[in-house]
Amino acid sequence: MRVIKLPDSIELPTLLDPWDLQEPNGADATGIYDFYRNLADGDLTTTKCRDCGKINFPPVIVCSNCLSDNLEWVKIPETGELYAFTEMRLGAPLILDQLAPFIVAIARFGDYPDNGVQISGIMFDTKYEDLRIGDKVRWEVVRVEGPGDRERYWYCFTKA
Amino acid sequence: MRNVAIVGGGITKFGVREASWRDLVQEAGKSAFEDIPELDRKDVDSLFVGASQPERWIYQTHVAPLVAELLGIDVKRVISRTEVACASGQSAIRYAWLSIATGLSDIAMVVGVEKMNTKFMNISQTCMVNVGNREFDGVNGFTAPPFFAMVAQRHMHRYGTTKEQMALVRVKNAKYGSMNPYAQFQKEVTVEKVMGSRMISPPLTLLDCSAITDGAVAIVLACEDIAKKLTDTPTWIACGVQVVEHAHTVNQMGELSEWLALRKAGKELYRMAKISPKDVDIAEVHDCFTISEIIEYEELGFCGKGEGGRFIEEGQSYIGGEVAVNPGGGLLSNGHPLGATGVRQAWEVMMQFRGDVPKGRYVDNAEIAIAHNLSGMAQLHHIMLYTRDKLRDVKFSR
Repeated sequence: MRVIKLPDSIELPTLLDPWDLQEPNGADATGIYDFYRNLADGDLTTTKCRDCGKINFPPVIVCSNCLSDNLEWVKIPETGELYAFTEMRLGAPLILDQLAPFIVAIARFGDYPDNGVQISGIMFDTKYEDLRIGDKVRWEVVRVEGPGDRERYWYCFTKA
Repeated sequence: MRNVAIVGGGITKFGVREASWRDLVQEAGKSAFEDIPELDRKDVDSLFVGASQPERWIYQTHVAPLVAELLGIDVKRVISRTEVACASGQSAIRYAWLSIATGLSDIAMVVGVEKMNTKFMNISQTCMVNVGNREFDGVNGFTAPPFFAMVAQRHMHRYGTTKEQMALVRVKNAKYGSMNPYAQFQKEVTVEKVMGSRMISPPLTLLDCSAITDGAVAIVLACEDIAKKLTDTPTWIACGVQVVEHAHTVNQMGELSEWLALRKAGKELYRMAKISPKDVDIAEVHDCFTISEIIEYEELGFCGKGEGGRFIEEGQSYIGGEVAVNPGGGLLSNGHPLGATGVRQAWEVMMQFRGDVPKGRYVDNAEIAIAHNLSGMAQLHHIMLYTRDKLRDVKFSR
């Protein structure tokens, strides 16, 4: 019988991990690449509309409020308030299951919703039992290394 | 607008099935056609398939013509597949209804289906994490349980809702599920058993959560004159609405324990049909988690905001209470095959109106039923209003 022989393992397509490819150019490019470049430089930022003043998160290339493309990058305040939290104990998706159990949280930075953001994040260096709604938290930049020599950037939360 | 009715339907057993996506579609479709002996299959002119993620779970896209092939349906008018995650099924019903109501279609089949169990549960969870904003929330572990755990935490924080009250929702739905031979879980449970089950994402335990499920449901809709020829017990579709308030990302969601989109959707539906929450006899609601059903009592107007915990504690959502909520066992007992759930809710209402359910979970003299399907992180809410007879001529006001 004719045989089609398959390799023992197949490299995981990068799109099955949850982080954006973060490419500035080429077919995988994103218009909000500056968000990732700012993270690499140590800053969590987002876009603010110069015309209507709306802060969008996630950052965008067109303001969803007034459709202007006259946007500027603004830094998200370094400390904020814990709004809600839980712990991923069972049922994490691929790749993130290597971190489980981990704290999943929502925190508010700045004056939400008018002049601030409410964002999600994984929280490190703390126990679920030690957290309370209203705790002060700060964001911190993390480097995601791999697969291979790929380097990408993201953020997480820690207790302030 | 023409009057439209559900004239029959069929369902597969829900659960961890040793069956493929294609098998499930054929099981449900065959059972639906057998339920309507007067229907000539070649008269089905339209087909709507509710399926959330066949691209990820079975690596197949363009599934509507596949369903037409599997069930031998010769589509002459409209064919489509609908996707709004967990409410893909109800959307398929909505478009079938509109297609018949406008006169484009006469007889439409609606199939809701999902195959979610594979050997690799982290792959299933990856599918679920992509329902939220993958790049900005999914990446932080926002699958459904952690998100709804935080919804529960906020509701407990603001309104004093307790884990016991949440457990009581499961106790009720497990009771009705124990009388449903198609449900994934058919055993009754106690509050202690719910609270003592394995912690998934605190405060939610395993039994606070609906399951990853395989299943399919098929129903047939027809215009009034055809419906009357096909069945003596049509289930009329009075109206339906969908409201999105939160958009998609956590930043747009505001206070997690307030589901403003559902509040708006409910008000709009009652206004269109000229009824009040008190007129509702059966409410099939989207209890993906126990906390969801508590918030749904509130936002659908069955009780005041923050009083959902007390509502179940007083037994008001049992058959014989203010309103019979999830007399088929809900998602908590049936499981939640994403694309199938909204169609199962309609099938359950049809079976109730026909009196084809066991006595212990039959709602006597029910005339008006609503089915609420939510999608994603509760950003989008969908409601349909079904009636045995009373509202069938409602020409909803704009």
